[in-house]
Amino acid sequence: MAHKFRVFTMNKPLDNECGKPVPSTQFEAAKQILLQLKSECQCQKYRLSYISLNGDVNQRSCSPTALKSPLGQGSVDMGQGLSTFLRCKYRPRASRIGPRGGAGRRSKRGRQGGAMAAVLGRVAELPALLALCRSALVRHWDAPALDRALEWARYFQHVHDRFRARPQLREALGRRLRRAQPCSPPLGFSALGRCPELLGLALLENRALPPAACRRLLRRLLLPPGAGTGPEPRGLALLARRKAAARLLALPRRPGGTEPRVRAEAQLLLGRLREEEAQEGAGAAGRARGLCGVLERLPPPRAFAVVAAALALLGHGDGDRDGSGPDGNRASAAGDGCVAGLLLSWLLGNRERFSAFCLCLPGSLLASLAGHYSQLSRSYLDLLTGWGSHLHYDPLQGRWVKSCPEKAELPWEELRERFSCLCQGSALLREQTQAALKLLKTRDGDFKVRGLSVWTDLLMEVEE
Amino acid sequence: MAQDTTVPKLNFEYWLDKAVEWGQATTLESQKDVCLHLPQLQEFLHQLYETLKDVQGSVAAIQRFPLIGQLLGRLCWNPFVIGYDESQKALMCCLCCLYSSEPQNPVEVKANSWIRSLLYHLLSSSEWESNEAETNLFISTLGYTSADYYGHLVKNMIFSLVTELRENPFNGLNIQRSVSASRVNAVSICCVPLITLPDLTPLLETLLLCHGGSPKEILCPEFLEAVNETFLKKKISLPDSAVCSLWLRHSPSLEKATLHLLDQLVSIQLNSLEEVACVIKDSLLPQAASHPAIFRVVNEIFKNALLETDGASEVMTIIQVFTQLFLEARQNQNEQHKFPLKAYFPCHHQPLVRALFRRPSELPTTSWSQHLKNISDMLKALVEDTNVSSLTDLFETWYLVTCFGEWLDIAAEQLLKAAVQPDALLWLLAFYYCPQNENQQRTQAMVEVQAVYNHLMMLFSCKDLSLRDLEAAVHRIMGTEQCWNQHLMTHLLTNFLLFSSGGHLVAQECIYHITETTDTSKEVYSLLLRTAYRFKHHGEGNQRTVKLLNELLQKFTLKV
Repeated sequence: MAHKFRVFTMNKPLDNECGKPVPSTQFEAAKQILLQLKSECQCQKYRLSYISLNGDVNQRSCSPTALKSPLGQGSVDMGQGLSTFLRCKYRPRASRIGPRGGAGRRSKRGRQGGAMAAVLGRVAELPALLALCRSALVRHWDAPALDRALEWARYFQHVHDRFRARPQLREALGRRLRRAQPCSPPLGFSALGRCPELLGLALLENRALPPAACRRLLRRLLLPPGAGTGPEPRGLALLARRKAAARLLALPRRPGGTEPRVRAEAQLLLGRLREEEAQEGAGAAGRARGLCGVLERLPPPRAFAVVAAALALLGHGDGDRDGSGPDGNRASAAGDGCVAGLLLSWLLGNRERFSAFCLCLPGSLLASLAGHYSQLSRSYLDLLTGWGSHLHYDPLQGRWVKSCPEKAELPWEELRERFSCLCQGSALLREQTQAALKLLKTRDGDFKVRGLSVWTDLLMEVEE
Repeated sequence: MAQDTTVPKLNFEYWLDKAVEWGQATTLESQKDVCLHLPQLQEFLHQLYETLKDVQGSVAAIQRFPLIGQLLGRLCWNPFVIGYDESQKALMCCLCCLYSSEPQNPVEVKANSWIRSLLYHLLSSSEWESNEAETNLFISTLGYTSADYYGHLVKNMIFSLVTELRENPFNGLNIQRSVSASRVNAVSICCVPLITLPDLTPLLETLLLCHGGSPKEILCPEFLEAVNETFLKKKISLPDSAVCSLWLRHSPSLEKATLHLLDQLVSIQLNSLEEVACVIKDSLLPQAASHPAIFRVVNEIFKNALLETDGASEVMTIIQVFTQLFLEARQNQNEQHKFPLKAYFPCHHQPLVRALFRRPSELPTTSWSQHLKNISDMLKALVEDTNVSSLTDLFETWYLVTCFGEWLDIAAEQLLKAAVQPDALLWLLAFYYCPQNENQQRTQAMVEVQAVYNHLMMLFSCKDLSLRDLEAAVHRIMGTEQCWNQHLMTHLLTNFLLFSSGGHLVAQECIYHITETTDTSKEVYSLLLRTAYRFKHHGEGNQRTVKLLNELLQKFTLKV
């Protein structure tokens, strides 16, 4: 049986058999060539995975895992988010996964195990495939290649639907996805369900896609399916409609309350964090922290607004889980607590960041958040007192002014407003705030007259 | 061939002018104009796609339709067009068709690039106006798509709009806090293309229930009409209160809904009144008619329909079933919310109205005759009072009685089964079939029907009946010239056949004979349907009668 392999490497062009089909009647011969490639690319970081072009070879030789092992650990590191992707004519047959009727538990499990390993192997390809769809390397694609990419997407969606209700398999797939390279952006199990849209839209937005492939893509995505199968065109029509709806309903809002955009972004962020949180195992915290790094991709005012909205949603026990699993609400409260803790540690971990956060958000929002999260209220109060202590009284103007006008701190009026917002919150928060102010006033000398201690003045304003 | 005929229909100039005029639909006038033209535009886009399906590549398309690029480009930037129903699908399909897989020249390359940027504008998660990649990056880093983002975004926008509209009840004094009428108007016009979007239902409900401080309508009429149309076509479902509110504040919608119901009912093949009742209930009109204002409008329309069809029996049946359902719905209402009876029939004799509003199920069967006698006496007094009755009043009184036709059917039944006060009941039936008495028609009818009645009563308990026994009655029916007499006597005879001891033996032949020779088949069929419906509802009727009824009905449905 002839095995044809075609090797594409992405990071750097190789001047040997790259791009040429490697006819080989021997599996071993093909392996040798690949080993040679690997040794030449020692300094580069590559990952080679290969699948036979012949559809009728048995699964073993097709599975990336099986082929990887003879090459040893040559497939460990990843480059800048790109990987090799071999053209394959191997159509993933969905019927291979899942239990088959058969005699004997052991043999069934054995078959399942083998099938499961194959699924895991294929699922691990998703990040690479996604990265590829976003890269400029799609310029080599023709219409059949595009078809195959979309079929892979459908396959992944099928895997997702199949295993959604089985927690252990779901976690196994999620773990495998996270280990897969490239690791940023980290994908979760739910991303498998979104594959057709993920890949379709990524390809649509990729300018490098050649016309022939692009036409095929458009026809498959947007035209009603004739006799063949394809991702639902309805989905994209609904997207266009909703985008227009967002434009139509974007009437100027009145102040107060979270802006819908920010809220939507917060909900997406929460969805992702909750999904990560539901996964067990060490390292989840680290990865979730990595997700917080995602927040750094937004400009700071927006990021802060998103985090504030997310914390507010968690505080109000807002549901809106996008089908994060059939576990129900048993563990969700605890999970939410962890997610909130995660967001808070991101906020409070960096002093400048927290200070910028408190500067750019309105007092009422911060007060309501402080009411829900005690760590936040403590740090917030500390911050406010820090700012307050930098004010000094100007007898000529008759008011409190900032010692250095350039510094990113609050002026007297806003500081007063912040404190009064805090005192309009819950009883606990009010007590906390007033106690803190009283303590500071006493420390300053317990003056009852204005103009001597900023805390006296604040307390008087707040208690009115 | 087909292409030649469709090409002239594609009026590009017209639509291009419209698109230029609308721009991005930022002014109220342009928005209203777009909303007016949305259905035709969608039709046009569908036709365009059908034509373009066979065309290969953009150059060929441009040669055939030179204005296509401009038109599609402009339409893509009009959120009203993209947000409507299936227009966005048709538009994107057209763009697909224009894309060339092998661009031969720079024009095609440019066209391809332009198509892709349009699709990017329609589908990516950048803002409508700008192409900022900020949100895009954030979302894709999280592993989501723009589909997820816009799903959440639209839901949130609707949530905040609903909260804003609900939390601020209109308070004439507190102008600052309340939502301004112009804002509600603006929101309502922007919702017109989006009515069939499932996410929007909460906002629709809130808008319909949202009232202004001033008596003027704050929702724009295009919105109300569009909601009504979509509701009548069953493309959306709304709660009863919202539909009721819609009809109360926009009477053209109510009229359209009633006429639509009538159309539906006269076009379906009536095999049983259950179907009719089902259709009427689904239309939500009986429930809404608990509001006297709505009831009166619907009543007027039914009355006109009856006049226009010269009292067709189908329309009569529809009116009677509607009234029954209306009474049922009213019964289920909360006592506090019930309007007094006077509100429904303000110009009629109130004791009569009250008597008619009593449902047969509310009274024990033994007192039905007495109740009917009361009704008959009141009617007689009303009608024979020469000072009062003009022709219009007579018609109104007759129409009132017709609405509650259930009682009339019971009267006919009671005449035969429990003949307590036959004269009064006979008079009632005679009035129903012959309200006018200028030339003593009714008096004449009474005489004739009395004779038939006496004859039938003699035979009522006869176990062995043959056709010859009924010959005299049948002869009379066939012999009268006046159709009202025929109908009246047929009504009695049919009841006799159903309820007498020996009637079942000759029922089929007798009815066949009568309906073949006179023009009464529709009325008899109607009567049988009504009787079957009544039996089902009240659980009346012994087995034999029910069986006979079903057989007769089957025979009829085969014939009709």
